[in-house]
Amino acid sequence: MNYDSAAATGTLSQPKAKLRAKKERQALPVRLAKLKPYLYLLPVMLSIAYWIYRPLIQTFRLSFYEWNLLPTSAEKYVGMKNFRNIVTLPEMGTALLNTLIYTVGVIPFALIIPIAIAIMTDNIGKRSKNMYRALIFLPMIMAPVAVSSVWRWIMHPTNGILNQTLQSWFGLAEPIRFFSDAKWAIWSITFITGWKLIGFSTLIFSAAMTGINREYYEAAKIDRASRWQIVRHITLPLLSPTILFMTMLSTLFASEWSFSYVNVLTQGGPLGSTTNIYYLLWKYGFQTFSVGWSSAAAVLIFIGFGIIALGFMKLTRKLSFFDD
Amino acid sequence: MHLTSARRNKLSASTISKHAVLVALSFLAIFPLYWMIVTSLKSEGEIFNASLLPHHWTFDHYKMAWDSIPMARMLGNSIGVSLLQTICQVVTSILAAYAFTRWDFRGSSLIYGLIGLTWLVPFQVIMIPNYVVISNFGWRDTLTGLIVPNIVSAFAVMQLYNAFKSFPKALIEAARLDGASDWSILWRTVFPNLKASIASIGILLFITSWNDYFWPLLVTTKMEHSTIQKGLQMFMSSEMNLWGPLMAATTIASLPVLILYLLLQRQIIDSFVKGGLR
Repeated sequence: MNYDSAAATGTLSQPKAKLRAKKERQALPVRLAKLKPYLYLLPVMLSIAYWIYRPLIQTFRLSFYEWNLLPTSAEKYVGMKNFRNIVTLPEMGTALLNTLIYTVGVIPFALIIPIAIAIMTDNIGKRSKNMYRALIFLPMIMAPVAVSSVWRWIMHPTNGILNQTLQSWFGLAEPIRFFSDAKWAIWSITFITGWKLIGFSTLIFSAAMTGINREYYEAAKIDRASRWQIVRHITLPLLSPTILFMTMLSTLFASEWSFSYVNVLTQGGPLGSTTNIYYLLWKYGFQTFSVGWSSAAAVLIFIGFGIIALGFMKLTRKLSFFDD
Repeated sequence: MHLTSARRNKLSASTISKHAVLVALSFLAIFPLYWMIVTSLKSEGEIFNASLLPHHWTFDHYKMAWDSIPMARMLGNSIGVSLLQTICQVVTSILAAYAFTRWDFRGSSLIYGLIGLTWLVPFQVIMIPNYVVISNFGWRDTLTGLIVPNIVSAFAVMQLYNAFKSFPKALIEAARLDGASDWSILWRTVFPNLKASIASIGILLFITSWNDYFWPLLVTTKMEHSTIQKGLQMFMSSEMNLWGPLMAATTIASLPVLILYLLLQRQIIDSFVKGGLR
């Protein structure tokens, strides 16, 4: 890095004078050249404008209308009615509560267990480390549908290996109906979401651990700090940017990640017990075709998660002095 | 003497516990995959017993899965969509990353910010308007409809921007003094040197697009026009209890990504860990 900037300033001074002379001679080509960066950016700009920002604005607009997705039917302006309706729906309350459960439920898998494992297994031999990395990362690259299919088989009430094992080890009287029992379903989905994430998080924290300067540990050991004191006063504070990053990711995306498992495994049931806010959007949009409701809920989600994200970004900036 | 041996014992105990934890985590991670493959190879009579290896190895389930859904067609669709989408995403993000790092221009940070902010827009928030557009274009049940909305990846732009930023400016300047145009500087100077990082981002994009399920779920209705993920889900909901063929179909759907992972796990892990989730 240092060497480029030094080299660049060295070579820049000379051509700059030439460039100025050129600029006066060829006004038009220079003006065209000014457009160049925009031309290179054109595909990206057009695509995100058309496929992300346009629909975002349309969702805001549709949240004030009543419409059933049929091209032949007219959109009817209803003002704030959609918002009033959805916030008073009991379904909405359940979905929000479930969203909170997914978000909190994923924290052990995204943060607590990975941090503990990363700290415990720091300093392991390089060879075995690479092997473990390759194994524990595997769930991350699996497709959510494939993951759902496999877990549905493993967690099948009567024929699944999990219930068979639990029954033979603990002598359960009845098999656990992981996906059709309203008490269990949301935890099963949370577990699968977490299962996919846990190896990835562990690797993120291990990578952050290797970035910590060993001298701090040596100094602490000379001061006769206990293992826990070292973790509490050195490791965790130095990991805090990574902890914050993973907390942000899991807070913002836990429900989005669980969406595919909900859709494939439970369709929001039993009795709405696994429906989270994203699944509710989906249901309103493509099952009951109440586009207005779906859009109004989408607007609320977008604003809600946007505020959370901004909060996290502020916190990150505040905490960034820990990066050394 | 006494002290060192005590210490060594302690050390090995902690090493053992480290390995125990990691073995447990590895087991949790790979057992479902193992179980998927083993189930798919067991004979019909054995599926319901919990033996860890099949007694009679059979490919019958694969044959059945292959025959009962248009597997070849869906695999072809998935390969086509994932490849084309990845190529488009890589090319568009190379152009964008080059623009951001090569020139200082008005609005560059605003544009970069707008690209970066897209990760705050969940798919479910924008799905209805996009679905309406695709329907109006008559692109439902077409590969075009699957690919076109995804030709740009904000994640790829940001990742490549970081890679391009670290490219020595002096080399670009040298090429420019040799009379190379900006276009040829990009493809003859910058691109060949950054091939490795571009390739690893490309692999990540391919995996993401292979695994994608939401968009095909919306845009396609028939298996013949769909990707393998959507097909697998349809197979799952129609054949509730054919566990053998279902696990065979699941294995087939996962195979390309698993093979890629087997060959390139180091790069794949690194690019995921570096890039976070999106």
